[in-house]
Amino acid sequence: MTDNFDLESLVHLEQIFYDSGYQEGHAHGRIHGLIEGRALGREKGFEMWEELGFYEGFALLWKSVSILQGREDDRALNHIKHLLTLISEFPRANPSVIDKEGSVDVPKLFRQIRSRYKALCAAVGIRPSLRAAEKSLPDDDQGMDGGSMSDQQTNGKEPIWTVDNRPGDPIGS
Amino acid sequence: MDFDSPWDENPHPDSTRDAEWTKMSSEFTNAGYREGITAGKESTLQEGFDSGFAQVGAPIGREIGLLRGVASGLVSYLSTSKGLSDQDIQLVEAREIAAGLSGIRFSDIAPRDLEAEQHAREHLEMEGKDADDDMDINEELAEKRKMEGLEDMLSRLAAETHSPDGGQKRPTTEDVQRLKVRLQTLTSAIGLPEAILWG
Repeated sequence: MTDNFDLESLVHLEQIFYDSGYQEGHAHGRIHGLIEGRALGREKGFEMWEELGFYEGFALLWKSVSILQGREDDRALNHIKHLLTLISEFPRANPSVIDKEGSVDVPKLFRQIRSRYKALCAAVGIRPSLRAAEKSLPDDDQGMDGGSMSDQQTNGKEPIWTVDNRPGDPIGS
Repeated sequence: MDFDSPWDENPHPDSTRDAEWTKMSSEFTNAGYREGITAGKESTLQEGFDSGFAQVGAPIGREIGLLRGVASGLVSYLSTSKGLSDQDIQLVEAREIAAGLSGIRFSDIAPRDLEAEQHAREHLEMEGKDADDDMDINEELAEKRKMEGLEDMLSRLAAETHSPDGGQKRPTTEDVQRLKVRLQTLTSAIGLPEAILWG
């Protein structure tokens, strides 16, 4: 029992048990990663696009008002045009993935959209919705570049937002 | 019997040794399992996030957001620009639609994650085997659901004091469709060009 061969085979056995456990656990973990990831991604995608969609619908409403009233070249219409263009440039997939490629500066785009929305509100003489002031989405100081997935897992505070080295798949419109 | 194996040298099966053996094997298997589940989870979390974002969250969010934006713009147009009175039938309707839309939560209209449900059932079936039942519930989301539950409770309490039967149901995707139709009907009645609004 105490010669070298036996010790080695014992160590080997431990490794075999460990490996078989690891494999089983890994397969199970993959399922849970997908499930939890989907739940988080759904929530984040909804939150982000609900806000963008709101600005889009709002802009479309005022565009249709402008046309109804035959005011084709006023200040509001100019804001509407810019707002709709900015929104159409916004990625429909997880923007942090695309952001890594440097093609879209998502926080900047978001800021531009919000201020264009506020400008449109001013032009049509109404008070902007409070959502434009919310800080729930990525800003300069947090979000896009922070928090790896493991950070996310341990503190549970920041939604996964950033990926390391994953090719983006820009789905613009 | 294979007598080359060190484990078979003892001619009298020793219960202590059997127990040691079982303990050793399960200790290492469990340690591997724990490490494996963490690594496996990390390996797919981002993939899941991206698919949930692009395939479910973003399109549904945009749809609801669009309706809310149109309804909100319509209310301001009718009340501010057109200066309609609060009793005006069109303004009342626009406000009702906007209120209906604002009461919708993502959890009311999100499609079921069948794979997640299936997996949860599998866990129930072999209950006790694994101690990771709550793995899928992210803290932040769990907190949100708890808040929504609380809101529901409060609104039920409020409803009971107002109406005798009180039983309130959460809105569904059908309700969203009905609100959309009402919104389309209203904007057409006002004469807003449909092609611009509803593409």
